[in-house]
Amino acid sequence: MSQAHTEPLGKASEHVHPEEQTNTGIPNKKVAMWAFLASDCMFFGTLISTHLIYRKTTGYPDVTHIFDIELTTGSTFILLMSSLFMALAVSAMHKGNLNNARWSLGAVILFGSLFLGAQVYEFHHFVHDLGLTINGSIFGTTFYTLTGTHGIHVLFGIIWLSSWLIYSFFGTMKREHALDIEVAGLYWHFVDIVWIIIFPFVYLIEYV
Amino acid sequence: MAESIVHDTHSSAKGGHAGAPQKSFFGLLKRPGEGCHPVIDWLTTVDHKKIAIMYGAAALFFLVLGGVEALIIRWQLAGPEREMISARFYNQLFTMHGTTMIFLAVMPLGAAFFNYIMPLQIGARDVAFPRLNAFSLWVFLLGGVLLNLSWFFPGGAPPVGWFAYAPLTSSTYSPGIGTDFWVLSLQVLGISSLAAAFNFIATIINMRAPGLSMMRLPVFTWMTLITSFLIILAFPAITIALVQLMFDRNFGTFFFEAGEGGRPILWQHLFWIFGHPEVYILILPAMGIISEVLPVFARKPLFGYPIIVFSGAVIGVLGFAVWSHHMFTTGLGVIALSAFALLTMLIAIPTGVKIFNWIGTLWGGRIRFDTPMLFAIGFISMFMIGGFTGIMHASVPVDTQQHDTYFVVAHFHYVLIGGSIMALLAGIYYWFPKVSGKQLSERWGKISFWLVLAGFNLAFFPMHFLGMTGMPRRTHTYRADMGWTEWNVWSTVGAFILGLGMAIFVGQIIYTAWKGRRCKADPWDSRTLEWATTSPPQAYNFPRTPIVKTRDQVWADKYDSEEIHLEWGPEEEHGIHMPDRSWYPLFAGIGLFIFALGWVLFKEPVPFIPGFANFLHLQVVGFSLLMLSIYLWALEGPGGYHLHPDKSKDPYA
Amino acid sequence: MSDSNAKFRTLTLLVLLAGSVLLTGCLGPWDQKQSALDPRGPLAQDQYNTFMVTLYVTGFLFVTVGGTLLYTVWRFRSRKTDDPNTIPKQSHGHPVIELGLVLASAAMLVVIAVPTIRGIVYMENMPKDLHDDAIVINVTGLQWWWEFEYPEEGIVTANEMYIPAGRAVHLNLRADDVIHSFWVPKLAGKKDLIPGQENEMWMKADEPGYFYGQCAEFCGDSHAYMLFRVIAVPEEEYRAWIEKYQEGPAIDIADPGAWEPDDAHEELIGKGIDAFRRHCVSCHRVGDQGGLTGPNLSHFGSRTTLAAGWLDNNPENLHRWLAEPERVKPGNLMYYGLQGMTGLKDIEISDEEIEAMVAFLLALE
Repeated sequence: MSQAHTEPLGKASEHVHPEEQTNTGIPNKKVAMWAFLASDCMFFGTLISTHLIYRKTTGYPDVTHIFDIELTTGSTFILLMSSLFMALAVSAMHKGNLNNARWSLGAVILFGSLFLGAQVYEFHHFVHDLGLTINGSIFGTTFYTLTGTHGIHVLFGIIWLSSWLIYSFFGTMKREHALDIEVAGLYWHFVDIVWIIIFPFVYLIEYV
Repeated sequence: MAESIVHDTHSSAKGGHAGAPQKSFFGLLKRPGEGCHPVIDWLTTVDHKKIAIMYGAAALFFLVLGGVEALIIRWQLAGPEREMISARFYNQLFTMHGTTMIFLAVMPLGAAFFNYIMPLQIGARDVAFPRLNAFSLWVFLLGGVLLNLSWFFPGGAPPVGWFAYAPLTSSTYSPGIGTDFWVLSLQVLGISSLAAAFNFIATIINMRAPGLSMMRLPVFTWMTLITSFLIILAFPAITIALVQLMFDRNFGTFFFEAGEGGRPILWQHLFWIFGHPEVYILILPAMGIISEVLPVFARKPLFGYPIIVFSGAVIGVLGFAVWSHHMFTTGLGVIALSAFALLTMLIAIPTGVKIFNWIGTLWGGRIRFDTPMLFAIGFISMFMIGGFTGIMHASVPVDTQQHDTYFVVAHFHYVLIGGSIMALLAGIYYWFPKVSGKQLSERWGKISFWLVLAGFNLAFFPMHFLGMTGMPRRTHTYRADMGWTEWNVWSTVGAFILGLGMAIFVGQIIYTAWKGRRCKADPWDSRTLEWATTSPPQAYNFPRTPIVKTRDQVWADKYDSEEIHLEWGPEEEHGIHMPDRSWYPLFAGIGLFIFALGWVLFKEPVPFIPGFANFLHLQVVGFSLLMLSIYLWALEGPGGYHLHPDKSKDPYA
Repeated sequence: MSDSNAKFRTLTLLVLLAGSVLLTGCLGPWDQKQSALDPRGPLAQDQYNTFMVTLYVTGFLFVTVGGTLLYTVWRFRSRKTDDPNTIPKQSHGHPVIELGLVLASAAMLVVIAVPTIRGIVYMENMPKDLHDDAIVINVTGLQWWWEFEYPEEGIVTANEMYIPAGRAVHLNLRADDVIHSFWVPKLAGKKDLIPGQENEMWMKADEPGYFYGQCAEFCGDSHAYMLFRVIAVPEEEYRAWIEKYQEGPAIDIADPGAWEPDDAHEELIGKGIDAFRRHCVSCHRVGDQGGLTGPNLSHFGSRTTLAAGWLDNNPENLHRWLAEPERVKPGNLMYYGLQGMTGLKDIEISDEEIEAMVAFLLALE
């Protein structure tokens, strides 16, 4: 990622519209994203509560025989690393270094995909090798719903960031788009944090 | 439009607008500009005022629909052992009546006011995300259509109650497709409410006029903000519960299957963690409206403004801590019962504080009894009765006798008709001149008020007696020897008087919108910022940015010293920047609708297409349309054009 | 303005007048069959007393706050004589008044909170002195009828529960299909029967009596038809009832050949036994014969009601119930059959057979 490949971002537009000067100084998009994340907290809160409430009820298998904790720990690490690259991408955007931002975004997408691939493998393994299905036991029901919902969040983040990456080649990236990347970054970090909560409450707790 | 419009559209090749990609994508759909066909204008509008009017009109339609359902219910109950309608049809009616009134009538009426009044009250040109706002509208409308489509499918509407307790909703006990319609339409409506709430939060936090600090905000705007926070925090619980129910029904999961380790009681917890805040989502906007109307007609500022705002917030927070009082008979145990009983009683304090402050507002005023004020005073007295029976329910021993009886039916209709609906009517009579520039007839307004008040009390007060003498809710008939006949007859008579009052009101709205005479811009001698512009406001609301000096700014302009009069910001040399119309909110809504319909018809034969069973076909079509619309929405950018206002049209400025 | 004020005044008067007429004319008596205002047991009495506390407190609040509102509206109405150019004093509130009102309302709530907490403890724990001679009944709610099992006596019956007056009853509440709620207003507030959950409650009838009860949680099509009775009888009568049930049914259907008719009616009963064995035993039990999915009919003839308390038990109603069950109780499993099994919708039962079964069932005293 040498300086030579850097493309300049487009110029900021000449005049600022009143609706872009906000009372708080925080852009509207960011406020709305924070509100969405507050709401999403409640979504995951509900799912995680459901899973915990149904732990150890009838039909709850010995889950430690099912989990592949090494794999999941590894994929957790990968997801955390993706957050680092997300932060780098946002920082590069703010500095106007489009090329750096592209590389970082690419890394986020790659790591996110690796995480997702691990989850797909995990699900496949559970279903086909261990016979753990969503409608086979209450554990399967809550486990697949919770981690699946998280997986869909990751997938959505990957699609979102990929769209920006592709757009950066075909559209006109401007300095203002740093905000859009930052908002996507908020989402991405949030999805990571949720996994940091799911990992102990769904996986590690079974080994206690 | 008399304004000179400068179409220096940024979105096309001329370029240069902040954040907006420039290419008009594929050129498939051009963004409609000024002067497009009115139908296209309304379908693609991003103007918060037009969106509000559509919200309001649709909500009134659903209000009438839910009202007709209620009248059929009352007709069936007018005598014992009647067989006017079947038990199943009755169950469908009360399910649809409840769901329609809550999600399709009262909430969207609130949303109509949020949309129309709130941006004007904060001196903004529009909400933060105008296209997202249009998306909320279309999704709400299509969600309402989806719910009511169930009537036209075999098996008909859902017969499970608006609370839909598991396991009655499982595929074993409710195999009909009606329940799937209910599940999916509530999901769709939830998306609409959430999107609208994000929008309003960003708008109120970020887009207030200069000088309009939070503690100068009109109370209605405050309540909009609190309600929006309640929505974003409460709706996830029911969304997840509905997903779980949908999985149980479609994929054989065990969330609410008692035999397999699931627990039906979980549904009740999740439903009421949403459901109780939902009660405040319905009543807080009403309290906001009342807090606007009373000062105007008493010609005094609101008594204890900070306390009214604060108590609204306290109600909102406590609303999340009392859900189990809907479940006092489910076997919670002594500790939980006591805790939830005490917390519930606590809510009476901020609620009572509001009532004291409203009376304090009236005290020493000069009260005019125009129709909005009549409804506002009606609200205080009826809501008070509903509040008192609410305190009774907080007492667990009492509640075990009243729970699921007509006493509860009386209670929440006092809160929702005597409360929410009365306040919404007050708001409609009060703001109708603002929205249309025309005034509703005082004579017919008063007739409708007295009919509504009398009919409502006759319909619902006897239900207290019915409940205490043992009549359970949700029963389509009763034995002749139970001693309930007489009060049921009164109640039915009252319901029809109430219906007549509402019919007069709706007729009056339609007549006045069509033929009413124009009135002054500020006919009530009002106090807040929405009256500092023309009635109805121009597309851009305010020709220049208002600079606010005090609470009740418009009143200060009329009656207070010069130094706290409203000031206006500089004229914008480029003209006023207006957001462009867009097709994509509508298309995204339709995509979501088809996607949801696909899940309703999962594994079902599709009507009109013989031999075609839907597995994922409709979902794929709907989801593709949704995603395509979102991408094109993003790529077209906010766009915008510039408008130079005609100063002669704005007497205030 | 004065014109509308006059109208306002008249209308207020009219509403008040109509309201008081309604209140005096229609109020009372409060002893309806399912009235919670006519308590006949200690638990219902406690709940009634707490209700009265809440009624007095809120009634007091209603009169004071509502009176203040009315007075304020009256006193500060705008008059014709008002100078249109003066405006009222623009006062903004008073913290001392606010605080006083908050504290006063909190005090009011304490008055309600105390009996509430006491009542919760009382409701959730049967008093010690009632424990010793309390009887136990297992209640199961089903769509749309009730099964009452007396585990200590080894008795199963349906829809009518006999209890000894003066002794407490401990109820174990269970549900097999959907949620129901057990409610006999004159004896106790309701408690839900939830699948997969073990709820319990207690109640006691002070004097003998015939009490109406009803399912209070919406449970599907025929929720309105899910009634039951609690019959409190003196101790000796209760014992006799237990013994009668323990002895078994009046007619043993295990061996239909053993039935020797003496007259035309008994001949009809004999045909009824045959018809019952053909059509009903897969679900209904008489004595030790028959299935368990439907109500136990061993002593059906001694019941006062049928179809879960909806109809009085007499030959006409029973005939109607057997001839057109779907009309009497929409959605019921006797007609539709349990999960794919045959129900009455699948078979033809002749009128003669129904006549015979009516005779037979009513003979099961």
